[in-house]
Amino acid sequence: MPVDRRSLCLAALAIVLVIAPAAANNTGLIFVSNEKSNNLIVLDPKTHKVVKDIKTSRRPRDMHFSADRSQLYVACGDDDVIEVIDMAKLEVVRRIPTGNSPETFAIDERRRRIYIANEESSTLATIDIDKGIIVHEVPTAGEPEGVLLSEDGRIIYVTSEVGNLVHMVDTEGGHVINDVVVGTRPRRFAVTPDRKELWVTAELSGEVYIIDREKFVVSGKIEFLPPGMRKSDVTPVGLVMTADGKTAFVTLGHAAHVAVVDVPTRRITGYILVGKRPWGITLTRDERTLYVANGLGDDVTIIDVKSRKALQSVPVGRVPWGVIIDD
Amino acid sequence: MVLGAAAIFISFATLVRAQDAPPPKVTIGFVDIDGDPRHEPIRAYERMILKAREHPFVGAKVAIDEAQALSRALKIDFALERITVKSADAIAAAVMQAREKGNIRFFVVDAPADAFRPLAQAMKGRDVLLFNATAADDALRRELCSREVVHTLPSLAMTTDGLVQHLVSRKWRDILVLQGPEPADAAMTRAFEASAKKFGARIVGKRDFKPGTDPRERDQNNPLLLTTLNRDYDVVFIADDAFDFARALPYRTQRARPVIGAIDLEPVAWHWTYERHGAPQLNSRFQRAASGRRMESQDWAAWIAVKMVVQAALRTGSADFAKLRGFILAGNGFDGYKGLAVSVRPWDQQLRQAVFLATPNAVIASAPIDGFLHRVNTLDTLGDDEPETPCKLNR
Repeated sequence: MPVDRRSLCLAALAIVLVIAPAAANNTGLIFVSNEKSNNLIVLDPKTHKVVKDIKTSRRPRDMHFSADRSQLYVACGDDDVIEVIDMAKLEVVRRIPTGNSPETFAIDERRRRIYIANEESSTLATIDIDKGIIVHEVPTAGEPEGVLLSEDGRIIYVTSEVGNLVHMVDTEGGHVINDVVVGTRPRRFAVTPDRKELWVTAELSGEVYIIDREKFVVSGKIEFLPPGMRKSDVTPVGLVMTADGKTAFVTLGHAAHVAVVDVPTRRITGYILVGKRPWGITLTRDERTLYVANGLGDDVTIIDVKSRKALQSVPVGRVPWGVIIDD
Repeated sequence: MVLGAAAIFISFATLVRAQDAPPPKVTIGFVDIDGDPRHEPIRAYERMILKAREHPFVGAKVAIDEAQALSRALKIDFALERITVKSADAIAAAVMQAREKGNIRFFVVDAPADAFRPLAQAMKGRDVLLFNATAADDALRRELCSREVVHTLPSLAMTTDGLVQHLVSRKWRDILVLQGPEPADAAMTRAFEASAKKFGARIVGKRDFKPGTDPRERDQNNPLLLTTLNRDYDVVFIADDAFDFARALPYRTQRARPVIGAIDLEPVAWHWTYERHGAPQLNSRFQRAASGRRMESQDWAAWIAVKMVVQAALRTGSADFAKLRGFILAGNGFDGYKGLAVSVRPWDQQLRQAVFLATPNAVIASAPIDGFLHRVNTLDTLGDDEPETPCKLNR
């Protein structure tokens, strides 16, 4: 790949930004995307009151901040765009066209790219952030969903809900280099902080699959069953891990719980009751609080991590999908 | 050194052979009948099509298209072959020929119930698996009871059980039943009566209707008279396979009561408006492949049949018929895009699955309805459960 001076400069700048979290706004504001009301609800971190209702294109789902946190990107599935929200103004300032029905994405600021799974066209698209155009598309198995970019930006992992596969895609070559078969309807990823393991939720088989990244094979799996629930209601989707790599939290969809997993032993240490069909889950930077988006309850459950208790539920928009915090 | 060279030579030879050998292939046959009257469109007048009733081949095609991306990971190829015969009698011979000449073992069969009797007889004990994707008749699950057949379309009993569960959960227990003149209407009514008995609904009146305008038969063709009863009822259930009478019944009843069954609230295996469990993606894949046509129950039944074969290959890592058949019949769950995983009941090889209760524009409920419990799997509250069925396969 040809590298010009400008992109080198940008790359250097991006690195500086990545290692300088001082550039963060630290507002602590909580952003919730709502699939059916086509908006982001912004909550105050202390009072949990709605401080802003940002109108977006239709069906906003996955959200990511730019490295300097001056912008928030949100994928809007029914209008085939990623919208860019200015964090100072809290309004949409730009629209980047994507493929058909964008769902989740990853940003590589160094290369100025967005990698996005297009659920309907079954592709992983690479978008040039500055030009706002799709520069490459990789065909995937049906309904690609979760994406995760490797630390060096060379590999992107994509789940396929129809294929029950995780694809390993070479970002430079722009092709699939390996596949691994996982549980039924794989959804989202997390990486252990030691970078050795990739965790993937399998929604329909009710499991988390653990993939050894070096060998790219399944090295284990965790099955969930909160007390009193039916196995068929356990539909894990979202997951998040603490920075020390000790604890993972997994949302269990129709089972209306968040599972707490001890990562080194892969043992489930508890279940926290939340709202109806939780998917999106986010930890605050201080790891004291969890926010869970309850898709069929139109609310967000706020959990105190230490006591493992749900503190409060806050109504948001219709069908909340994900939560992201500016802290 | 010499040994090393030999080892290299051997591994190279294996490599060459591995590259030469084509990957194993699983071909699925789709058998249908040219001019099958069940697939004739229902028309009001020549160019007024009420129901298109197309063959569900596109459903199978969507599933085989989904499988193409798996071929690389699995190193197994998947193909679909459409086998159209002239009449129902020709099915058995065509399947036999495809089995011998085309090495096809899995068949999605789009044929009426009558065609299954000779077909099952001819295939008895052979290494084939036939997926019944279009015949809902309970008799195929009860009396025919064939080890070579898996029923992916819900049985009539399953659909009426789902419907009655909804009525009972709403406390709409008193029902007026209207039955049409076709044998299919009689079968549907029988299934509905059995469901009402099973879940404690009351049939407070039952009448036969006869489409027409003959004033001498007005007690059988006038909606007002047909729905006039000396007592109240909560809903009118109508069994009308021909659809022409049912379509004009709502809002013409004597009492202001909803009409269900053949119209307005129908129990279906699939619906184009279902919004959960990835259904919108499947619906849009289907619509793209079918030039805009909406996916219906039989399309879903053909789609899941192919998907089950592909998933069996994925999970067993094999293209071997016995292994795939074993996996499919072992009660393993498959993702049917309607919530609870679907799986094959061992006793009659019916696919257990949710039944949608749908109006033309929305899925109102998905049965099993909350509160209808089962000791093992709530899906078995729909249709023939193990203790009830006369069919005892895989025992």
